[in-house]
Amino acid sequence: MQKGLIKVTDPVERLIHWGLAVSCLILIVTGMGMMFRSFNFIATILGGLKHLIYVHNFTGLAFTAALVFTILKWWKEAGVFAPEDVEWLKAAGGYLWHTDQVPEAGRYNPGQKVFFITVSTCGVIMVITGLIMWFPLSFPVWLVRWMYPLHALWFITIMAFFIIHFYLGTGGSPGSSAAMFTGWVTKDWLRKQHGKWLKEIEKKNKLEILGGGKD
Amino acid sequence: MFEITKLIDVSKCTGCRGCQVACKQWNQLPAKQTLNRGTYQNPPDLEPNTWTMVMFQEASDETGALKWLFRKTGCMHCTDASCVKVCPSGALYYTNLGTVALNRERCVGCKECVSACPFEIPKYDGAADKVAKCDLCLSRIERDMTPACVKACPTGALQFGDKETMLQTAYRRAQELGGNASVYGDKFVKGTHVLYVLQEKSAIYAGLPLKPTVPLAIIVWKDLLKPLSLIAGGSMLAGTFLHYILRGPKTSDEDSDTNKREGGA
Repeated sequence: MQKGLIKVTDPVERLIHWGLAVSCLILIVTGMGMMFRSFNFIATILGGLKHLIYVHNFTGLAFTAALVFTILKWWKEAGVFAPEDVEWLKAAGGYLWHTDQVPEAGRYNPGQKVFFITVSTCGVIMVITGLIMWFPLSFPVWLVRWMYPLHALWFITIMAFFIIHFYLGTGGSPGSSAAMFTGWVTKDWLRKQHGKWLKEIEKKNKLEILGGGKD
Repeated sequence: MFEITKLIDVSKCTGCRGCQVACKQWNQLPAKQTLNRGTYQNPPDLEPNTWTMVMFQEASDETGALKWLFRKTGCMHCTDASCVKVCPSGALYYTNLGTVALNRERCVGCKECVSACPFEIPKYDGAADKVAKCDLCLSRIERDMTPACVKACPTGALQFGDKETMLQTAYRRAQELGGNASVYGDKFVKGTHVLYVLQEKSAIYAGLPLKPTVPLAIIVWKDLLKPLSLIAGGSMLAGTFLHYILRGPKTSDEDSDTNKREGGA
């Protein structure tokens, strides 16, 4: 890694992120294999639909654990909007149409906050509906019946956000993925993505620079 | 191929349970020890090893005297079957005779059909981790034999034949009985392949839904959200791709100086 990179995430954050991301991806793929008979071939790889269900259910437990850590770790930073976030949201972060002035973002831009809040609430609903679907005979029939469409509805939401998140973390905003792989990003990228936060940590003298220690 | 139908004329049923035993015998479903609960109805409800049974219900006639209501219960073999709609493995399927059969080999024990069925027919067998239900003796009717229950019925309460004949027979019989007698089954879930001739008002029979339908939750799930998920996923992938090629990725100032991008931010 080149010198001068700035540290933006710690290992615990990256571990939680990937725990949630990988389990979520497995759940999406195995869930599709269950919901669509034309995707049953996904089950064939795992040795049949029954095994697919086991993989889905137990991955769901891993997802639950990752989700708990996710919410505990980030709700303060990414779960609460600041008054100035409105401007950023009105401009859609400058992603969709031309805007002269996009407000600089803090450690989490309002789009990321929306993503965090959506994934957290969807995740909790997915866990609850999923658990009821796992043990349907222990609950009243009318309740169990509605768990399936609810699980599908929030699946759609999570999947949509998953795709956007993946895009914006890779091709849509070059330089971003480093934050979740190595944790070191370029100063240029940080100024572009989280200018306000960069100023804050510079002011606090907490900038961690590769090869240079704290500056 | 023509559709078949089983007709249950409850007015002719004497509650002998010949059908119940014959079903167990043909389908090799051993009985289970049960407790005397003060009723002749035994077992209390359908079970993984009891696919049909006679419900014993006590009612009173006009004079207040005791009257038995016997109703053989079991799978109704819907034309629009919720169980087939939800089954993820294809274990539950329509036969070309119009019935709903179950391929136990393919069942994965997800229990979705147990919740979906408006008649609460499929029962989950924990030991086998599979569900079980009546298949209208597919192994017999495919070979031009009548289902075991029909074969065993000594009073003619159970009849079996092609759908049209059975419908005619049912309506003729309901008319013959007069009073509150009615035909039950042909008006629901696009028509069931098991029909009842009910002597009393249908609301009187315990456990018989008045207006069985494919549950709304199942329709929303399978007919609305399932296709929507593909549309949503597809449009998201297409949308991000279009964003990349039309609007371009968000690059920092230095990047864009060295790498000018038309329309890029």
